[in-house]
Formats: sequence, C-alpha cells, structure tokens
Amino acid sequence: MSQQSTLKKYASLYYAFFRASLQADLEYRANFTLRIVTDVFWYAAQIFTFEVLYRHTKFIGHWNLDQTRVFLGILFVVDAIYMILLHDNLERFSDKVRKGDLDLLLVKPVRSQFMISFQRVGTANFANLIMAVAWLWWSLSRLPDFNLIKLLWLLIVIPNGFMFLYAFRFCFACTAVIFTRSENLQFIWYNIYKLGTRPDSIYAPWMKYILMTVVPVALIASVPARVIIDEPSWPLMIWSFLLGPTMIYGTTLFWKFCLKHYSSASS
Amino acid sequence: MLYANFWRRNLGFAKLAIASNIEYRLNFLVDALVQPCLSSVVEVVLWISIFAGAGMTLIGGFPVESYISYALWATFMGRISSSWMYEFRMIEEIDSGSINSLIVRPMSFYEYYLSQLMGYKFITTAVSLVVPLVLFQIFNLPFHLDRLPICLILVFYYLILVHSLSFIVASLAFYLNRAHSFTAAKNLGLWLLSGELFPLDLLPEPFKTLFSYLPFSSGVYVPTAYITGRIGQEAVIQGFISVTGGLIVANLIGWALWKQAMKNYSGTGA
Amino acid sequence: MNYVIETKDLGRSYETYKKPEGLMNSIKGFWNRQTIRKSALKGVNLQIRPGQIVGLVGANGAGKTTLLKILSGLIMPTEGSAHVLGTVPSERDYHFLSRISILLGQKNQLWWDISPIDSYALLAKIYNLDPDKARARVYELAKKLQCDHVLETQLRRLSLGERMKMEIIGALLHEPEVMFLDEPTIGLDIVAQSTIREFLADYVKNKGPTIILTSHYMDDIAKLADQLLLISHGEIVYNGTVNAFSQKASQVQTLQFRLDKNLEKAIPLKSGQQIEAGHREYQVQVVNEEVPWLIAELTKESQLQDLKLIEADFEDVIRQFLEKESRVR
Repeated sequence: MSQQSTLKKYASLYYAFFRASLQADLEYRANFTLRIVTDVFWYAAQIFTFEVLYRHTKFIGHWNLDQTRVFLGILFVVDAIYMILLHDNLERFSDKVRKGDLDLLLVKPVRSQFMISFQRVGTANFANLIMAVAWLWWSLSRLPDFNLIKLLWLLIVIPNGFMFLYAFRFCFACTAVIFTRSENLQFIWYNIYKLGTRPDSIYAPWMKYILMTVVPVALIASVPARVIIDEPSWPLMIWSFLLGPTMIYGTTLFWKFCLKHYSSASS
Repeated sequence: MLYANFWRRNLGFAKLAIASNIEYRLNFLVDALVQPCLSSVVEVVLWISIFAGAGMTLIGGFPVESYISYALWATFMGRISSSWMYEFRMIEEIDSGSINSLIVRPMSFYEYYLSQLMGYKFITTAVSLVVPLVLFQIFNLPFHLDRLPICLILVFYYLILVHSLSFIVASLAFYLNRAHSFTAAKNLGLWLLSGELFPLDLLPEPFKTLFSYLPFSSGVYVPTAYITGRIGQEAVIQGFISVTGGLIVANLIGWALWKQAMKNYSGTGA
Repeated sequence: MNYVIETKDLGRSYETYKKPEGLMNSIKGFWNRQTIRKSALKGVNLQIRPGQIVGLVGANGAGKTTLLKILSGLIMPTEGSAHVLGTVPSERDYHFLSRISILLGQKNQLWWDISPIDSYALLAKIYNLDPDKARARVYELAKKLQCDHVLETQLRRLSLGERMKMEIIGALLHEPEVMFLDEPTIGLDIVAQSTIREFLADYVKNKGPTIILTSHYMDDIAKLADQLLLISHGEIVYNGTVNAFSQKASQVQTLQFRLDKNLEKAIPLKSGQQIEAGHREYQVQVVNEEVPWLIAELTKESQLQDLKLIEADFEDVIRQFLEKESRVR
C-alpha cells in the first residue's frame, strides 16, 4: 500500500472511531455531563491552588500570577487534548489486557498501537477543550508583551508537549501487558505527572534538570509556557523538538517489546 | 440479641475486607506503604520548591516546616478519608446485578459496605501511619503526637459520611448507567473542599469560614491543622458537629434514592 | 395459610427506550427519548404447598428468572401480588430472608478472595447461626457432595463444578424453608450434574423444603420436580404434575417405517395432518390408539419392510410444546 492510501485508511478509521464514540457517549447523558464537570473541578483545583498562593506572595519561581495563569492555560489545553484522544484508551488498558480484549485487537489488520491508543474518543471533553482554550486566551490577553507571533508558536509547542504526555502515559499503560496488574505503576505515573503540573521554575536547579532529561515531564507544559512567557531559548527548544519525536519512536519500540512478553490473559 | 447479631456480622464484614486485602500481599504493601511514601515525597518537594521560588520565609504567617508538616499529614489524612475502591465495587455490584446475592440476605447493603470500608481503612491506616511518623522523626518536624488519636477518630467518623456519599452515588447506579463518573467528579470536589491541596486558612474570607464549617474539612484540613498546631480544639469539636449534620443530610438523601430505586429495580443480569 | 407461595395476577413490566440507528438519532436521543414498556410476566396465579418441588421451564427470556426474583424479593411486581411464607417478599423483612434462599447458577454468591469455609463462617454470622453447628453442617454437606477437600482453597482457584457445589452448600447452610434454584447445573459436566442432582434429591427427601427450580436440563426437572410449570412469553401455559404431563407426552409417538414401494395415496391422520403419497421412507407422529389402524392401512397395499416406534422422551415433548407455544404468537 502506498503511503498516501495508508494515511487515508487511518484517517477514515479514526473518523469511524470518532463516530462510534460519539454515539456511545451520547447514550449516557449523565455520564457525558459529568465527564465535563469532573475536569472543570480539576481545573478549579489547579487554579485555586495558585490563586490562593499568590495572595501571599508576588512571585513563585520568577513567574508572577499572570504568567502562571498562562502556564495553567497551556497545561489545560494539553490535558484536554489528552482527555479527548487518549484518556479512555490508556486508562482501560489494563482492563483490556485482563479481560483478553487485547487479543481481539491484535488479530486486526491494523497497527495495534494505533488501535489501542485511539479507539475511543472522549467526545464529552471537547467542551473542556473549549474552556481550556478560553482560559488560555484570557490569560494571554493579560500579558503586557503579548503578540500574535507568539500565538503561532503555540501551534508548534502544544503538539510537542502533547507528544511527551502521550509517550509517558503510553509507556506506563503498556506495562499492563507484561504485569497484567499494573495499577500501582499507573499510580507512580500520577505522581510524576503531578510534578509536571507545576511550573518548572519553582524547582531547585537539580530537580529542574531531572524533569527536563530523566523524566521530562517539564516539557509537557512548562517549556511551552516559557516559549510564550520568556524569550524563546533556542537550546531548550531544539532539545524539546528533538526529544519529542524520539520518544514517540521509543514508544513503538517499547510496544513491540511488551508484545513479545505478552501471554494471552483470557486462558 | 438483635444488636449482638448486628455487631457480630459487621465485625465479620470488616474482617472480610482485611482478609481479602492482605490476600494480595504485594498490592497491599504498595497501597499501604509505597504509595503514601511516594505521595509524601512529591508533596514535600512541591512545598519546599514553592518556598524557595517565592523567596519568602513565611506564607500566611507560617514557616516552611509548618507547610511540610501540613503537606505530610494532609497526604496521609487525604488517603484515609477518600474512598475509591469500595465505591467502585458498590457501583459494579449494582451494574452487574451481583447485588442480587446481597439483597436476598438478612442484612443491608449499606452496613455491608460500611463495615468493609472501615475494615480496609483500619488496616491500611495502621500500616501507613508508619510513613508520617518515620518522616517526622527523620526531619524533626513540629507536630503534636498527643493529638493524633482524636484526629484519627474524627477522620474515621468522617469516613461514615464518605461512605454515605458513596451510597448515594451507588444508588444512582440504579437510575443511570456508568454512575462511576460521579465518583470521579465527587471525589475531585471533595479534594478541593477538604483542604488536601493547601491549608484552608490561606483562603480569603468568606470562603475560609464557609469551607471550614462544611463537614468536608473534617476529612483533611481540621485533623491536619489540629495536629500541626494551626488550629485549636474548638475546631475539632466543630468538625464533629459538622460531620453529624452532613451525615443526617446525606443519609436522608441516600435512603430516599435507595427506596425509590428498589421500587423500580428490575434485577438486571441473570 | 395452606400455601407457602401464593400469587394473584402477578405481573412485571419494564420500561426501556429505543434508539433508531444513526448518528443524528443519537444526538436527538440526547435530548428526548421514546420509552417503551415491555411486559416480562403477566397474570401469574400460583398456589404452592409446603414441600412441593416445582420445575419451572421456559425458553430464554420467557420470564422464569423474573418470577424467581419477584418471589425472593429481589424485585417488586408491577401488577398483582405475591405472598411467600405469609409475607410480601419485596418488603425484604430479615425474618423472611432468613427462611429463604436463592441460587443463581451463573453468579457467584460466595466471596471471591477467601476460602469457602471462611465464606460460610461469614454467612453463619449474617444468618445468626451457631458457628460450631454451621461448621459441622458444612462438612456434612461437603462430604455428601464429595468436595470437602477444597473447602480451604480460595474460591477463585476452584473449578466451575466445585464452585457450584460450594454455592449450593452456601444456599443450604441456614436450612431455608423455601429455595429458588435458578439453573443449578448450568455449564457443568455430566458427572458433576448428576452428583448435584442426586444430592438435591436426597436433601429434599430428608428436609422437605419447598423448591422452585429452573433448568435447561430436563433431567433435572424429571428427576427432582413433582410439579411442572411451563412458562412462555411471561405467561404460565401449563401448570400440573410432572406425571400428568409425561402421560400426555407418551400419548404421542413417532413412527418410522419403510415400504417396499412408494405409497400410492395419502393417508389422513387424526391430528389433521396427512401422510403424503409418493415416498418409501417416512417418519410421522401419531397418537397412540391410531397406531394399529395406521399399520393396517399401510399394509393394505404394500409390504412394511421396517417399522420402528420411537417413544418421545420428556425433553422432546417439552421442546415441542414450547416451540408450538412460541409459534402461536
């Protein structure tokens, strides 16, 4: 198959996933609404924490309240995209393995990593994406030196941040294939992610270094935010743009590795 | 006689929870020790960073040690006072229809899960209490050990309220499919209101007063603030009163929902 | 009251909603929904005396389980009334619940992560039984079911058959006066099936509980039940003794024969059907008294080369009965 028709096939497949998910999501009305509400609570928790802290201090790291709000905006947008595209798939990963659904995915003539990552679309969370974009827009408008060129940067840095989130979450979820019961590893992920949901400027230099290299969760939202708020730092951006695709490639290798160790669970 | 039977069986349920949790040894240890350790470390790192980043020695009149103590105890209390697993099980029980085998027995669904939750929380608390105690020894942080028992009593009293809320969510599973999305929304809401994120006394008025009078602050803020010396005894007494009020309201709602649900229950599943 | 179970015009209907195909309809359905009422059970009148074993038979979705669930208090009827042991089941009075037991063949009622013996200890607490007596009873029942060696193994490690035996012990532990057994032998191998069947028959002889039993295996019904209830589309279509039904069944027989040449003209039968002309081999269903006459008719013009009388068994008859019932609607 040519490259183009492969791309076409996957695009139409994704459209089918989207339709099916939307139909399934609309079936459960309360559930649909609650998913939106849950994320609003999460946003509120993040906003609250910083609004309260900034009542008692002018700067955290070297960012003031307005700049931290922009950081949160980017975090929310990346998180909303994650909720739409990935959350449902990767959260239920270990269930799928345990119940033997993975077997059914593996026998389909489609890349299994694609199937397992994108089969379900969290359509309810489009509402959250709208809210997240609105918050980001509002927070940007309060920056004194904001201009439209910076907005263009967003188009590059947000997908890049999302790549890191995907790579991390996917690898943690994958461990379910090897261990079957991997809830505890998922928990480790939540704690690491928590470190990424704070601006990296608050961390001590050594900690910041770890979060940029060993477990680069700072690249999810902090680095994109720096591009907008501070002057773009070229070494940092090159690092970020190199590491993102590399990590995505890493996920495909890791997935193959996991499948090698997969022993069908349903037996 | 009837009461003796009530206690006997509920003690049985609590023991069942303990037995079935320590059955999976590794899982239990991770749940009771590894996760609290990890969360504690992350919290401590965050607060140290915030102080360092802010370049201040006092926030809201309290020094960094006070916040680290708060963060450590808040993480601990927060873990005790939230219920995910048993709430999911209650919902699952209703969704799958396996609740049938519970409601044909001479006992109530409410007590069955309350006692199991208590048994589970008892054993995990007993084990994970080691984490803050050891950390406080190592870092020599300020807190009042003598206040710990009453704080734990308040948290366990608050757990009855948590269970009553779970019971409401579970009752909703009779009306709706996928009621577990309520769990996430509700628990996130409680997370905000309980004071696990930051001490509620940092809030501006009127939120400060409002939040501390709500029963949910008794899950984390009141016991944590009391044990770290941010507030006095009267707040704990207020906590017991608020939780009692919350219990009355939550149980009235739960009871009404349950009764109505039972009327329409169609006994799904085989 | 003379009857242990008594129902009057008992019925149950459900409300569901329908969703036409397509994405647009899904979006429309988000705002408003069409509900439809479906009736799962209607006009059921039962009177069951103490000690009776009732076999409840019907196709999937005929309403068997719904009936059992109403009688055990799991669900409320929407029409009519039910009384079991003199009380309304759906009130779920603890005294009532202590006297009944329900076994759902496809569900685990014991606890998954602990051993059966621990589950029974917990059940003894729930039903307020003397722990030592309960324990003795468990061992006695387990010995009879030939499964006392697995009592201390966690339930999740047991085979399907062992698990079912454990469930049965759990259901009998508090010596219920009324038992509802829904598919107690489903999915089991033949050996396990017959062990359970014999065990239940023995138990019934000794303790005399009232039982309503459903099963896909007619052997279960034939061996255990003395009363038969056939249910179809939510209604009771036969209510009588198993013997009467069997007799009725044995009145119809299948006759298989071969002639030396093709049958020349059709022979009408009492049932309104006829044996068509033009073949040599036949298989027909005839009423008992018709057989001699039919043989005489056949031998008038040709020689019978082979003749076999196949007696219908219980299972066939019920199947035919139910098939006919569902064809009528």
